[in-house]
Amino acid sequence: MVELSPEIIEMVIRSASVIAAGLALIAGIGPGVGMGYAAGKATSAVRRQPEARGSIVTTMLLGQIISGSTGIYSLVIAIYLVFT
Amino acid sequence: MNNINDPDRMQIEILKRTYLISILPIAFALISGEFETLLGFIFGLVISTLILRLRVINIERSLDMAEERAEKFIRNRYFIEYTIYFVVLTVARLNPSLNYLAAAVGLFMIKFTVLLWMLLDMVRGGLNKKLKEYKKLKDDKTEKGGN
Amino acid sequence: MVEFSPEVIDMVIRAAALLGAGFAMIAGIGPGIGQGYAAGKAVESVARDPEARGNIITTMLLGQAVAESTGIYSLVIAIVLIFTI
Repeated sequence: MVELSPEIIEMVIRSASVIAAGLALIAGIGPGVGMGYAAGKATSAVRRQPEARGSIVTTMLLGQIISGSTGIYSLVIAIYLVFT
Repeated sequence: MNNINDPDRMQIEILKRTYLISILPIAFALISGEFETLLGFIFGLVISTLILRLRVINIERSLDMAEERAEKFIRNRYFIEYTIYFVVLTVARLNPSLNYLAAAVGLFMIKFTVLLWMLLDMVRGGLNKKLKEYKKLKDDKTEKGGN
Repeated sequence: MVEFSPEVIDMVIRAAALLGAGFAMIAGIGPGIGQGYAAGKAVESVARDPEARGNIITTMLLGQAVAESTGIYSLVIAIVLIFTI
């Protein structure tokens, strides 16, 4: 029967959780790409109609609130995993 | 009701509604006597308010740039915000007097408020439209019945 | 025949569950890109017709909320894997 000491068991579990945290943080690139696209469109929109600047900023703010808060889910799980 | 055209007034409206909705968890935490949950929740709320303000400043600054440069600018600023979130969550995790789950929920309060606001507007708008339709039907019917 | 003690078996299962939770959270890329794309198109159409702003914002938020739900699915699976298995 193969037996391992408790320290080795804890080490394997700890290393698995750290690897998982590193994988989960790949999802940080998603909102960056999306928000960048929206910023580019906002620039050309302001060039088209400079009077609608307030409306454009407000619309983009609402879009960014939702889009930026989705990338934080993975960060929450990753920080939970890294510190046991 | 998104007839607010001014970004400053929009921020104030969002923050007012967020603080109104967040009275409920704060009251529950105070009543049940868990001080750590209360502190963690207020921590998350304060940081999310500051990051909202930072986003508005970034947007206003990026509207005067060329298109390619605006994309890279917003992307870099988003990574800086991500680092701020990272530091905040690490502090909440490693501190025994702050609840980690409460800090995470506090960071999501603004998004939750915006979605709830939209839902209420849709429900209210839909109800008003249906009332007007029924009233119009009733007026047509009484006209025809009167004739 | 190789036999493993129960602690080793539990360790392997727990390590695999944690790795699975990490893999599941890669699915946060999807809603991020999609919601940003919807915000960009909404901003562009507000410039074309600034009067229809209320309808545009309502439609955009509706689409973003539906796209959010797939991100929540992966979050739920990750939480179940970390805390229960």
